[in-house]
Amino acid sequence: MNAVDISYIFPSGKEVFTGINISTGENEFVSIVGPSGIGKSTLLRTLGYLIPPTTGRVFLMGEEIKKPSSKISLIHQSIATFPWMTAMDNVKLALFGKGLSQAEMNDIAAKTLETVGLKGAEGLYPKEMSGGMRQRVAIARALAGSPIVLLMDEPFVHLDELTAEGLRQEIYDILFNPSTTLKSVVLVSHNLDEVLELSDRVLIMNGSPAKIVDELIIEMPRPRSSRDSRFSIYLDKIYSSLTPVR
Amino acid sequence: MRSVNLLLIIQLAAAATILRVLFIILISILTGWLLAYASIRSSIFESIYIPVISSLESVPVITFFPVVLVIFVTRIGGPVGTELASDFLVFTAVVWNIWIAQYQAFKTVPKELYEVTINHELGFFSRMRHLYVPFSMPKIAANLFPSFADALFYITVSEVFSIGTKSFSVFGIGSLITRLVSLGNMYYVWVAMLTLAVWVALLTFVFRYIARITVAKYGLDTSAPIRRRGKINIMHTYQAWNTLTGPMKRLSKHFTSTFRVLPTRGNFGRRWNALSSSKRYIMAGVAAFILIILITEIALFVSSLPLNYWGYLVSYTPAIFYGMALDYVRVAIIALISLVIAVFVGYYLAVHQRAAVTAFPAIQIITAFPAPVYFPLLFAATFGYMYAVFPMSSEIYVLFLGFVSTFYYVFYSFWMGVQTIPSEFWEIMENHELRFFTRMRRIILPATFPYLIAGLSSTIDSAWGGLMIGEYWPEIIDGKTLEVNVGLMKMLDIFTYQGKIGLAAWASLLFAIVVTVFSILFTKKLMTMAREKYVIEEGVYAA
Repeated sequence: MNAVDISYIFPSGKEVFTGINISTGENEFVSIVGPSGIGKSTLLRTLGYLIPPTTGRVFLMGEEIKKPSSKISLIHQSIATFPWMTAMDNVKLALFGKGLSQAEMNDIAAKTLETVGLKGAEGLYPKEMSGGMRQRVAIARALAGSPIVLLMDEPFVHLDELTAEGLRQEIYDILFNPSTTLKSVVLVSHNLDEVLELSDRVLIMNGSPAKIVDELIIEMPRPRSSRDSRFSIYLDKIYSSLTPVR
Repeated sequence: MRSVNLLLIIQLAAAATILRVLFIILISILTGWLLAYASIRSSIFESIYIPVISSLESVPVITFFPVVLVIFVTRIGGPVGTELASDFLVFTAVVWNIWIAQYQAFKTVPKELYEVTINHELGFFSRMRHLYVPFSMPKIAANLFPSFADALFYITVSEVFSIGTKSFSVFGIGSLITRLVSLGNMYYVWVAMLTLAVWVALLTFVFRYIARITVAKYGLDTSAPIRRRGKINIMHTYQAWNTLTGPMKRLSKHFTSTFRVLPTRGNFGRRWNALSSSKRYIMAGVAAFILIILITEIALFVSSLPLNYWGYLVSYTPAIFYGMALDYVRVAIIALISLVIAVFVGYYLAVHQRAAVTAFPAIQIITAFPAPVYFPLLFAATFGYMYAVFPMSSEIYVLFLGFVSTFYYVFYSFWMGVQTIPSEFWEIMENHELRFFTRMRRIILPATFPYLIAGLSSTIDSAWGGLMIGEYWPEIIDGKTLEVNVGLMKMLDIFTYQGKIGLAAWASLLFAIVVTVFSILFTKKLMTMAREKYVIEEGVYAA
């Protein structure tokens, strides 16, 4: 994915961010960090064209994106599953209109649920699942749409720390599993430990209107640990770019 | 009448009607506060009050008609009796929803605020003034417009009515228009309608303004649950939500608040056991006394009627049920048409904010303008063509009256339901490029199901008013009578017109029983199912 010179101005006239250029490569996990209210979530949505950028263009595999597409799929901060649908039906939602038979849809949905570790939970309704399971359903739904890019807006923020930690450890393998079509992930998060644990590259937003003020390549082997000495070095670098909040 | 005088009379009549309606709304609000307070203080009172007003609300206004005629016109009589009869009919049109809204507001006062009033030992008046009354303001404001609209719908019925050969009327725009039409003074009919339209438009904007400022001042931030972004950025705040969804008379009772409810005061049995024995004896004595009086009154009334009179009433019962069945078919058609239009137009306006901003005030004004006032003119302009082309035109006219009297309940309800769909789900629909019918079938209709049931329930309840007016309308214009072949509402009209009040009361009673049973067996069950399964807000998990 390649986003060129993206800017966004609220209807009130306030310019949120400007001159944003982001590109992601194959099997790359990119994170965006920045102070609260700076426009990270809005930026994420402009990348998926869920909010059209005021200026700039987004390309996917060389083609310009001009409307929302399941090729660039969004995972929400608030875990969104339809309460009247089972896990299976929630996932199948991404497959409607793709010309698949019921059997094919069931097959794909079941496999995707298995990929996210929910084998056996296909018939459960969201209210019968924990927060972590619901977020897995949301991830499975996003993956079932055969996305090329996954946009994740603080996907673990509403989970308890133990569940979040467990899911973080698994997520990289789930996303870049050979059975998925996924090429890259863009994550927005306030949790810098999470960002360092998952990312290949970190983009730091700051200023008003916001810009990308710094970029860090994270070169640590996986699985990563916060006890790794390089971890705190990267952390200090991010903090120095984030402060003062401009 | 001289033209200047007539113009003045029209202005005064419009003012009299509006003031009558506003005064009765005010009475409803004042009494509602006291009753709501009583119901949260006493679970015994609450367990009687809530079922009673819920049931009465689902009973169409017209079923109160015979009672009104008997009590106010026959027993009190004179101009006072007629005025009270008219006021009572308006009262039954406006009161139930306001009372339920106030009760809900009192019941859902946040625990923390309630504890502050306990902590500072506030008495009844202070607690009402500083907590309950302000907290109930947004809900009351949201109910002003629909109560006003509903009251206006019945002005032609409530300001002028006949029993047998005797006609009763009170001064107001409804009775004046009826008189002007009978005199064939069409120029002043138009002037009167225009005057009423100006009042309606003015008050619609006043109510919208009141709703906006009361929500801004008294609404709690914690109830602003939904954010929307981008193209589907419809309403950002509870304030806007409440202002635009004001016309939700009868709907609010179906939805529980997102606020934490006051700690429950325990069930009846536990509360009863907690009372001292002397209090228990006193309360049991009062209850027994009321019950004995009620039973005695009913027994005296029943025994006062000769046996053959009961036979006479029973002999009409099959015809009454047949008429009722046909009316239910009419109501079903009206509900179905309303539903289809509501879903398509409501969805369009929900996703096109600019259109909604201009369409909603216009729709509010149009729906508040009472159909019975302009309908005779519409009828006069079209009946020649209609009856020539469609032999069943009377049915079409009646269905139209029913439709315009009730369409907006399901329309607003559906629209409100669409508003509550969280932005995350809209993004999922766009993200996965779901087509219109997939969106409708899989997401929009299930998500709005509780709202649709509530809206349909209100639409069904209100459609009867349109049928009551349309099924039998003697002298609607130029000696022409609009009437259907068979229908319960027509029967009620004719029984009343012929002075057969006992028969009208009997038919009303049977009708009220069927409506209540329908409400319990159908509406409430569907609503329970909707609440259990189709609650879209539960789909967003945010710890």
